[in-house]
Amino acid sequence: MKRVCLFIIVILILAIYTSSVSAREDLNKWTEREKQTLKSLWLGSLPPPSKDPSNRYDGNPDAIKLGMKFFFENRFSGNKKVSCATCHPVNMNFADSLPLAHGMGFTKRRTMPLIGVAYSPWLFWDGRKDSTWAQALGPIESPVEHGFTRTQVAVVIKKYYKKEYEKVFGKLPELDEKLLPLMAKPSTEDPVALKLWVTLPEKTKKAINEIYVNVGKAIGAFVRTIMPTPAPFDRYVEAILKGDTEKASEILTPMQVKGLRLFIGKAKCINCHNGPLFTDYDFHNIHVPQPEGLPPDDGRASAIVKVLTDEFNCLSPYSDAKPWQCRTIRFMSTDVFKYKNAFKTPTLRNVAERAPYMHAGQFSTLHDVLHFYRDMPEDERPPDLEHGELTDQELVYIEEFLKSLSSPPEYFKGK
Amino acid sequence: MKKGNFQILLILTFMLFTVTVSAHMKYKPKGKIQGFTKHFEKSLFKITQKGYYSIEMIINGDILKQGSNEVDLVIHDSKDRDVTGAEITIQPWMPEMGHGIDIEPEIVEKGGGLYHVNNLVITMGGHWQFKIMVSKNGISDTAVFDFPEVSGMAMHHNIKRPEKIDTSRSQVSEKGIYRVSYKPEINPIRINTLHAWIVEIRDRKGNPVKGARITVTGDMPEHGHGMPTEPQMVEELPEGKYIIDGMKFQMPGWWVIKLHIHSSIGMDTVTFQLDIQ
Repeated sequence: MKRVCLFIIVILILAIYTSSVSAREDLNKWTEREKQTLKSLWLGSLPPPSKDPSNRYDGNPDAIKLGMKFFFENRFSGNKKVSCATCHPVNMNFADSLPLAHGMGFTKRRTMPLIGVAYSPWLFWDGRKDSTWAQALGPIESPVEHGFTRTQVAVVIKKYYKKEYEKVFGKLPELDEKLLPLMAKPSTEDPVALKLWVTLPEKTKKAINEIYVNVGKAIGAFVRTIMPTPAPFDRYVEAILKGDTEKASEILTPMQVKGLRLFIGKAKCINCHNGPLFTDYDFHNIHVPQPEGLPPDDGRASAIVKVLTDEFNCLSPYSDAKPWQCRTIRFMSTDVFKYKNAFKTPTLRNVAERAPYMHAGQFSTLHDVLHFYRDMPEDERPPDLEHGELTDQELVYIEEFLKSLSSPPEYFKGK
Repeated sequence: MKKGNFQILLILTFMLFTVTVSAHMKYKPKGKIQGFTKHFEKSLFKITQKGYYSIEMIINGDILKQGSNEVDLVIHDSKDRDVTGAEITIQPWMPEMGHGIDIEPEIVEKGGGLYHVNNLVITMGGHWQFKIMVSKNGISDTAVFDFPEVSGMAMHHNIKRPEKIDTSRSQVSEKGIYRVSYKPEINPIRINTLHAWIVEIRDRKGNPVKGARITVTGDMPEHGHGMPTEPQMVEELPEGKYIIDGMKFQMPGWWVIKLHIHSSIGMDTVTFQLDIQ
C-alpha cells in the first residue's frame, strides 16, 4: 500500500511539473507576426546611426574626446558648478531623478534621457532643436541652467582649451577678451545682454559664434555616442528568434512575458513606443495635467516656429549640411493644431531607472503612469491612446515588462 | 374700463407696435443686399463684400475634412437671378499660418448659377478660410467663408481596418484620369524612417504625364493623426516620373496615402493603402 501511495505521489509531482513547464513554454510561444514585432523592438534591429550632416565633427574621435570634456566642464556656468552632467549624470544613465531640471535655477521641464539620442530627429521635449549640437548650446545660455553666455564660453576656450580646440577645429579666431562684454548674448529675454551683443562688431560676433558652435559640435558628437546596450528583453528576443524557448523562459519572468504580450498586443503600447528605441520620435498630446504653479505649456505647437527660426538649425550658416540634406526640417509638419500640448515620445530604454515621468515629472512611479493611461476619461482619450480594458493585474505585468528594458548605456570613453 | 386704464393700454399697444416694427426693420436687408435669398436649407450663405452677389456653399458630406473636398456653389445677384457664365476663383487660406495650398481646385459650371468645385485640398486641420471671388461683366466681388476648426484628425477614427487591404503600388485615380505607381526609396518601408517615393504617372493611353503637380495627404483611418511629416514633390524626372520626398510612417498598421494630381489633362486623386510593420 505504501508503495502505491508513493507511486501516486511521484506521478502527481511529475504531472504538476510537466504541466507547469508546458505552461511556461506556451507563454513563450509567439506567432510569426508577433515574432516580427518582437524583432522590430529588438536592439539587434537598430542600424548604426546615420551621420549628422549638419556636424562635420560627428564621429571624429578628437572632437568626441573634447566634447566629453566639455560635457563635464563646470567652468561653462555662471556659478562654476553646473555642467551638462549636472542634469545628465553618467551614474544615473545620463538623466537625473528630479521632476524639473535644476541648474542655476529650476527649468519648467524634466531632464530628457540621452540614451540613443543620435537617432532622434528632434531634441528637447518639444523638438525646438534639430541636432544634438544645436541642442547642447541652448542650456548654456539659459539663465536657469548654465547661466552663461557664448561670449564667456569663447573666453574660457581661449584661456583653458586653446591647444585642444585648435587640434580639432583649426586656428582659434582672434579675440581680445579684455574688451569683450562678457554678458553679451543674443537673448530676446535679456535686453541688457541683447544690447551688448548687437552692438558688438560683426567680426567679433562671428568669431564668438564660430567658437560657440564648435563647442556645441564637440558636445553633440560626444552625446551621439551614448547608446543602449542589450537588456534582458533583447536577450529574450534573441532566444525566441533562435527558437530556444527554454533559454528564453529563463531570461524573462512569466509576469514580464505576459506584460510583453500586452505591450505589443491588447494594450497597444507600440502604437507610439515602437522600434528598437521604443519611440516613434513624434509628438503627442496625451492630456497629462500641467503641474500647479507652472505656466501653461503648449509643447510642440510653439516649438515649430522656434526650430524654423533657430539660428543654429540645419539650414543655418553654421550647419555643415547641404540644404537638401536637411530633410527633417524641410518636411516637418507645421500643424500647430495637431501638436498643441504635444510632447515627444521618450525612449523606454531604461525607463524603470528614470522616475519621475512625463515632461514635468508629473508621475513619480511607473505604476502611476500606467494607471493614468488606463483611467483616462473616454471622452478625452485620443484614438491612438486606446489601451484596451486593462485590469490592475495586467498593469503590474506591463510594469514588470518595462523593467526588462534596463541596461547600462555605453558611450565613448576615450582612448 | 376706466378712461385712464384705456389710455395706458393704448400707449402700451403703440409701444409694442413700435418695437415690433423696428425689430423687423433691423433684420430686413437694406440697400444693395435687398432681395438676396437663401435657397438651400443645408447651405452656408454669404453676401459678397460689395453686395453684388450671394454665394451659397453646399459641402459634399456636410463638413470639410483634411484631404480633398467637393463643394457646390450657387450664385445669385441682388435681384435673386442666377449668375451664369461667371469666372470663379477659390483660394483656401489658413489665416494664422499665413499660407494656403499650391494646388488649384477644379471649378465646373453646371448651369442655372450652379458651379461644382472639385479637389479643394485641405492639407491639415485648423482654421481655414475660403476666399471666393466672382467676376462677371467686369464686376468682381468677394466673400470669405470661415471655418474656424477643420478637423485634421479623429474625423473617421471609428473606421475599422478592412479584412483585406489592397496594398498594390499601382492604382487608377478616382476619375480614371491617371494610372499611378510608386517605388519607395527603401523596400520594405520601415517605420520611423524618412524616405522618398518615385511616383510614375501615366494617362489612360499609358503615355507618361509630364508637368504634373502633386500634393500628398496621409492618414491612419483607425487613428486619424495623419503623417508626422509634410511630404512634398521635390523634382520632376523624365518619362512622367516624380520624386516625392519626406514620407514617414510613425506607427505600425493600416495607412492610407492620397496623391492629389493636377496636370494639363485634369485633376484627380489616387489612393494607396499600406500595411506598415
